[in-house]
Amino acid sequence: MTVRAPVPVLPRAHGHPVPWRPMARATWLQHRGGLIGVLMLFSTCALAIVVERLTAPSYARSLGVGSVNNPSFTFLAHVVQLFPVVIGVFVGAPLISRELESGTFRFTWTQEVGRTRFVVTTLVVLAGFTVVSACGLGALLGWCAHGFEVVGIQSQWQPGLFDVTPVTLAGWALFALVLGTFLGAVIGRSVAAMAATAFSVGGLVVASNLDLVHRLLAIAPLVTSRVPPLSMAIGTLNSTSFAGGELSGSWLVRGWVTGTGGRELNGLAAYDVMDHVQSAAVRGVTDPTRWLSLHHYALWMSYQPAGRFWIFQVVAAAILVFLAALLALATVRLVRRRA
Amino acid sequence: MNVVETSGLAKRYRSTWALRDCTLAVPAGRIVALVGPNGAGKTTLLHCAVGLCTATNGNITVLGDLAPGSLDALERVAFVAQDVPLYKYLSVRSMVAVARNLNSRFDQAQAEERLRALEIPPDRKVGKLSGGQQAQLALTLSLARDPDLLVLDEPLARLDPLARHDFMALVMAAVAASGFSVIFSSHVVSELERFADYLIVLARGRVQMLGDIDDLLAGHAMLSGPVEESDLVGEQFAVVQTRKAARHAELLVRTTGNSELPSGWESDHVSLEELVLAYLRDPSASMLPGPLTPDELEVSEVT
Repeated sequence: MTVRAPVPVLPRAHGHPVPWRPMARATWLQHRGGLIGVLMLFSTCALAIVVERLTAPSYARSLGVGSVNNPSFTFLAHVVQLFPVVIGVFVGAPLISRELESGTFRFTWTQEVGRTRFVVTTLVVLAGFTVVSACGLGALLGWCAHGFEVVGIQSQWQPGLFDVTPVTLAGWALFALVLGTFLGAVIGRSVAAMAATAFSVGGLVVASNLDLVHRLLAIAPLVTSRVPPLSMAIGTLNSTSFAGGELSGSWLVRGWVTGTGGRELNGLAAYDVMDHVQSAAVRGVTDPTRWLSLHHYALWMSYQPAGRFWIFQVVAAAILVFLAALLALATVRLVRRRA
Repeated sequence: MNVVETSGLAKRYRSTWALRDCTLAVPAGRIVALVGPNGAGKTTLLHCAVGLCTATNGNITVLGDLAPGSLDALERVAFVAQDVPLYKYLSVRSMVAVARNLNSRFDQAQAEERLRALEIPPDRKVGKLSGGQQAQLALTLSLARDPDLLVLDEPLARLDPLARHDFMALVMAAVAASGFSVIFSSHVVSELERFADYLIVLARGRVQMLGDIDDLLAGHAMLSGPVEESDLVGEQFAVVQTRKAARHAELLVRTTGNSELPSGWESDHVSLEELVLAYLRDPSASMLPGPLTPDELEVSEVT
């Protein structure tokens, strides 16, 4: 064997950093299977929404004001609410956990692009895909919901529907993607990360339906005004107003009745007043407004006006995007420190 | 310039030290074999060199003064990991495309040419390739990056003898063409001498021996003679290993001076495998020439 003398390695000119377009192409090559699966789910949902919209108006009008919700639309809205869960479980959770589990991080993280730029680019590309598809799905569902909203059957204020507009659905999908990625980086096992993501994102979606949306809608001061007696309810409402009324499109939070001197009536007395007004109105013997005025009663409602809907939407999405950004930073930090 | 240089390098995983006080320097232009038993710290050392792990204590630099894992280092250091972790669900063509898109200087034509020569079908899924083909593919992707340093972690472990030969032939041909440095870890001690010209032996997380293989072999001898004189002979040399039978003794010693052997004793060359195994059997034995100083480097280059 011949021994070679050590040869100095001359420093060479640095090449240009890998541009983002090739990195995006690498991301597509690596994740196209999962993304095509998500696109197929997206297409199926979109098709179902279009069919629902085309068949819905006649159904909605046949029900009339105050009727029950359209069950097929409600089901569709619930399915669309699961879109973020699907993104988190099937796109986010395996993103890093599969690399760690299969050992391919030893290939990817030692390429010229470097682990930080690789993870950031991958997240950005997948986030772009997620946001665009979620916006599309949310817009389609909003288009479908319009047919119901005009006749007062459904309202986008309602928990469930509040989370599936283009704005909030995109926020939820982005949050789910990054939460799944973060959990995958922490857990390092695909199946466990997918289960944890399904549990956590699914749990948060349910919590949002049950409670979080109500809490969000309570953060801004409510508008309080005297309202006409019809279409009035008392107590804690957290519901939408009927279409066509004075508060049409608003989110009703609480209704109450005041008597002489502006004193609020207790529940029993208030119900007596409401019963009288409604039975009189049904019989058509008395003008309810006049009757109330004569007896020094007034009906009051506190609510979020319809004009605030998109402000709340942006606030909800901003909270989700902020959380997603924090999780993304934590994920990058985890990846950088992984040794 | 040293392609890898460590100083007091240590790495701890929870309560276990994978590397301890590891100081070495690997000169450029060499094919370096990193040898040691399981758990010696070979993979940890290589992972530190390519930036996959960070040291608990000490320093490590590559290609002069670059920090492992930095973008400058990643541009010039290619790594083939143990068990060849590639995306099994991708086709060979897609795998090449992924590597091309993650490296600015990736030579796709060279990679495709090599894969054609190796008869690796571009449309086949990576997971459907044989172990040897997967190893060849991983090596091809690394070579197409035109590295200054190629790091191979147990590249031969899963390969049959023919595939081992083909793999190392590809490495040697690329080294001959481009002159880059190679560090590879291996269990297959018997084949090291054919490929490597520099040796590092790790045991229990420490460097036990390193240096030019020819120098190491020239600096050791196997002495054999009557067992009753073995202790006397042993006092004249640094003994690495002693084997005694009823009437006959063998001493593997370092030959640093001109000590004369008593009559009845013979000196023989030692093979690399014998040398490595002797050091591995006795972790307390060590021979550390240490890193080459700049003056020594200059002398080596002149000679």
